[in-house]
Amino acid sequence: MNDYRLILFLLAALFSVWAVMARRLLTSAIMLALVSVTVSLIFFDYGAPWAGVFELSVCAGLITVLFVGAVSLIRAADEQNPENRSRFHALPLVLAAFAIASWYYLPAFFAELSAWARPGTGGGTIGLALWDMRRPDLLGQILMLAAGVFVIKSVFPRRNEK
Amino acid sequence: MNSFAMEWYLITLIMFTGFYCMLVSRSIVRQLVGLEIVSKAAMLALISAGALANNLIYAQALLITMIVIEVVVVAAGLALLVKNFRLHGAADIWKLDSLKG
Amino acid sequence: MDKGLLAYLIIPLFAAVVIPFAARNRPRLADVLANVTLLAGLANLAWLALRPSMIAGGFADIPGDGFSLLLVAAIYLVALCVTFFSAWFIEEGLPNRQAYYSLILVSVAAMTGVVTTSDFFTLYVFVEVLAVTSFALITTDESAGGIEGALKYFFLTFPASALIIVGLSILMMTLGSLSYENLRIFMSSDIPSGPVTFAAALMLLGFVIKSGVVPFHAWTPDAYQGAYAPVSAHLAGIVTKISGVYAIVKIATLLRFFDGRATAVSEMLMFLGLLSIVVGALAALKQTSFKRMLAFSSISQVGYIVLAAGLGTPLAIMGAVFHLFNHATFKTVLFLNSASLEKAAGTTDMDKLGGMEHPMPWTSWTSVIALLSTAGVPPLSGFWSKLLIILALWESGLRTYAVVALLFSIVTLAYFMIMQRKVFFGRKSAAAESASEVSAPLLAPAVLMSAVIVAVGLLFPYFYTYVRVVAERIIL
Repeated sequence: MNDYRLILFLLAALFSVWAVMARRLLTSAIMLALVSVTVSLIFFDYGAPWAGVFELSVCAGLITVLFVGAVSLIRAADEQNPENRSRFHALPLVLAAFAIASWYYLPAFFAELSAWARPGTGGGTIGLALWDMRRPDLLGQILMLAAGVFVIKSVFPRRNEK
Repeated sequence: MNSFAMEWYLITLIMFTGFYCMLVSRSIVRQLVGLEIVSKAAMLALISAGALANNLIYAQALLITMIVIEVVVVAAGLALLVKNFRLHGAADIWKLDSLKG
Repeated sequence: MDKGLLAYLIIPLFAAVVIPFAARNRPRLADVLANVTLLAGLANLAWLALRPSMIAGGFADIPGDGFSLLLVAAIYLVALCVTFFSAWFIEEGLPNRQAYYSLILVSVAAMTGVVTTSDFFTLYVFVEVLAVTSFALITTDESAGGIEGALKYFFLTFPASALIIVGLSILMMTLGSLSYENLRIFMSSDIPSGPVTFAAALMLLGFVIKSGVVPFHAWTPDAYQGAYAPVSAHLAGIVTKISGVYAIVKIATLLRFFDGRATAVSEMLMFLGLLSIVVGALAALKQTSFKRMLAFSSISQVGYIVLAAGLGTPLAIMGAVFHLFNHATFKTVLFLNSASLEKAAGTTDMDKLGGMEHPMPWTSWTSVIALLSTAGVPPLSGFWSKLLIILALWESGLRTYAVVALLFSIVTLAYFMIMQRKVFFGRKSAAAESASEVSAPLLAPAVLMSAVIVAVGLLFPYFYTYVRVVAERIIL
């Protein structure tokens, strides 16, 4: 694997650990956005531009806006109840222990798995793939968006009297 | 070493971080952050597998649908969080204990 | 995708989108629209499957895979009961009445999508839609219990989806495609199937978590107890089955357990099923709340289905499919009745309810029928499906599993008899003094479902023919 991709992966891991360990929720949200940006760059490096574009605009953009909005709405409650930080500070140690323990057998397992990969055709454009091969998924997406609208309507109904 | 194996090893580490965050957090927003990290790791796994099998176009079609799903799920989770806060003034999952028995 | 049943997906979606516009000034129109849509769908299905010519021909002309048709019928039946019950149960002032009906219709469309697709990723997409709608439905009445149940459901279901995605990516890599047909062809051939089985096992784990099987059952009692009352019936009656158990049965048949493939996965699945039967039955004994007891009983019954799916022989698959349908009917009756009890008597605490048969005869008798059927008493439908499962276990030589399954069925029966005696037929308690029977429209769905339970039990030979056709088609 080229060095650029390895650095990006390590950056993504670093940002995610930082997001978990951050004291303030706003920092967590910003770190999550950085993880999304890194993942998007990884997608571009793989040669998957559509994935990268979607990830960048939707996850790094839309979801971060949603998170920051929600965090600012509940800021009062968050400051009243500080969490127990010790379990979070333990994360680097636990992660290091897990990483070292799994170094001995996970990569070998994955290497074995990769030997079974069946090379595919890989051709076509994204439009063709979505419309021809995965048309039922589009129906699923429409259903999902409708569900999202109704969920928001159900959770925040318009009340006639307050 | 096999690049696929290295990538998946790192993806496993990221997923472990996400799961740890979900298990340990008390605040619902932080658990949602953990869920997002787990989802990103799953997406990376999908594209990595697609790259190995030289099937990237197909994998990207799957990923686009996955991202749409993820947005709606996060929006639903945050909506419920905000509603819970408005009704009960707390965003702490361990304080909810109205169901007993 | 099964094109014939596509209409059953599109029409509820269409109705769901129309409701906010049509019912803006007349809230009751939402109820009417939802009920009419589901009733029309059900009538159409009944015509498709239950024509006399179809029955006489031994159900040989059922289009496509009979499993989808059976499940779509179950979906529409349960959803119709829930919407009919809700039309009279929802208080006037509930502000999100239209959103409630729209969500139920979208969840019906998603469930139809789940059972008619022939591709694993599409299955995942529709299961996610179902999870999102259920999540919002649980909190319709904004109670604290509802929000707690919904959050627990949220944080257990969606990580399971990540596991399913990882399984899907490995499957895509090693199999080349994500359709059911390719997996079936692959498993029937002689190619060594290690990685493909591993991918399928990962997906199975994700679906096992989603269906509330032990040890991942922590969300089930809280979600069922805290949810808005008709929503508990919807959840327990059909949603958890379609979102988790259906996929387990489907993967079990595709992996060809009966051919001796993937024995490790098969045994693990059977063990988890047995564990659920035991834990669910034992935990149900200790509960004081009626709804929580029903939740644990659900866990136990889902264990039977998972146990049979893990076994994988044709007889076991027949038992699993049949029990899936039956359990939908029992639990709908029981949860709707618990909602009626709560409305009339004000409590679902079993210690406080006693002698409910006097003020509420219809509710009591329909509950008794459903409880006896759950426990497996002949000639009700539950007896036959459990018999099929236990026979399949005995025939395959797994005597201990069969004996344990039978034993816990008897334990459940004993407990239900004691509980019924106290709650429905004992001395009248204070709550019973002030209660009165709920209105007829609220009783109608429960009566209809009880009639279905009795009819399926008595007309078992016809049902057996149908289920056998289904099993043959999905296994071979």
